[in-house]
Amino acid sequence: MSKVTPGSLEPGMKTAKPVVNTSGMVLLGENTELTTELIDRIRNMDVDGVYVHGSSKPPVPIETLLADLDNRFRLVCDAPYMDIIKNAIRKHVEGLYE
Amino acid sequence: MSRMDVRVVREKIEHINALPTIPKVLNKLLAVIENPGVSLNEISSFISGDPALTTKVLRMVNSPVYGFPGRISSVNQAVILLGLTVVKGLLLGVSVFDLMQKTMIGLWEHSIGTAIFSRIIALKTGHGEPDEVSVNGLLHDIGKVFLVLQFPDEYSRALTDSQEAGLIIHAAEKNRFNTTHASVGSWMAKKWRFPANLTDVIEYHHKPHLTRSTPVESSIVHLADILVRARGYGFPGDGLMPPVRPEAWELLGLTERAVVEIFKEAEDSLQITEDLTL
Repeated sequence: MSKVTPGSLEPGMKTAKPVVNTSGMVLLGENTELTTELIDRIRNMDVDGVYVHGSSKPPVPIETLLADLDNRFRLVCDAPYMDIIKNAIRKHVEGLYE
Repeated sequence: MSRMDVRVVREKIEHINALPTIPKVLNKLLAVIENPGVSLNEISSFISGDPALTTKVLRMVNSPVYGFPGRISSVNQAVILLGLTVVKGLLLGVSVFDLMQKTMIGLWEHSIGTAIFSRIIALKTGHGEPDEVSVNGLLHDIGKVFLVLQFPDEYSRALTDSQEAGLIIHAAEKNRFNTTHASVGSWMAKKWRFPANLTDVIEYHHKPHLTRSTPVESSIVHLADILVRARGYGFPGDGLMPPVRPEAWELLGLTERAVVEIFKEAEDSLQITEDLTL
């Protein structure tokens, strides 16, 4: 999920959370696919940003993330319980890429 | 390289109020917080009287650091819902935000990440005051701010040592200052009369097995610090993993599956807070 400015919205994006204006009023529900019309309307209302599914940043390859992980844990692999924590974060990262 | 005399370090740190970089609002706020008889009403008025502070408090309270599903729109509402201890912690967090951003890039993100993980771990282990533990997580590294403010060159060298020698930052601090951010943070916490549990967690978050007052809270923040580092969110002074204290891990009684769930629950909150500025 990522937050996108109204100016950067594109048709096909799907809302990850309800779209609210700056007063907190809900304008559009979550899990709604955005059409050109909806995007136009959002741009005309007082909206800060819209949460949409998916990442707006260029995806970091999973291999890089996992290599970073190995590097981070390199001095503590043998410490008690650190293997559990490492497995957990590994599983989580893999889950993010599914 | 010779170690500094810890008494010199302590003396300089305790005179930090005199630094021009300490924001005025922090000094006013400390006067309010230090007063043991202060009421919720007085705190509410103090916040409401400062529009900039009000905005920051409301932004903070509506962020994933606190898990309020509805939107809190008034200071009064926030103060009543959170209670005195948590509000004091929140005010401290809001006031040091600027300082944190100026002293170490990534420290604010690390602190807020630790707050989020602390909250989730607290809920998962059935702790009765997850918001309080969240604030403990938010402020656990405040000692680093004081060290950087008073000894910018020395701390810069400590950061370099950490990177070159593969040391966790508090080991590098110990080498240079003969003390660590945990102790330094606790000196200031006591001087400024932070809530007692918060002070204790600041002191013991790297050695949670040694505290008699807050073994659970210190263990939670200790683990939260580790998990946020594992996730690679923010920058605490080094890019390494401190080993978890076995006593803390055993006290919390988590399984690998529970930790995976914790990472999952934290993920959304971390994304939302990436944009959080006060």
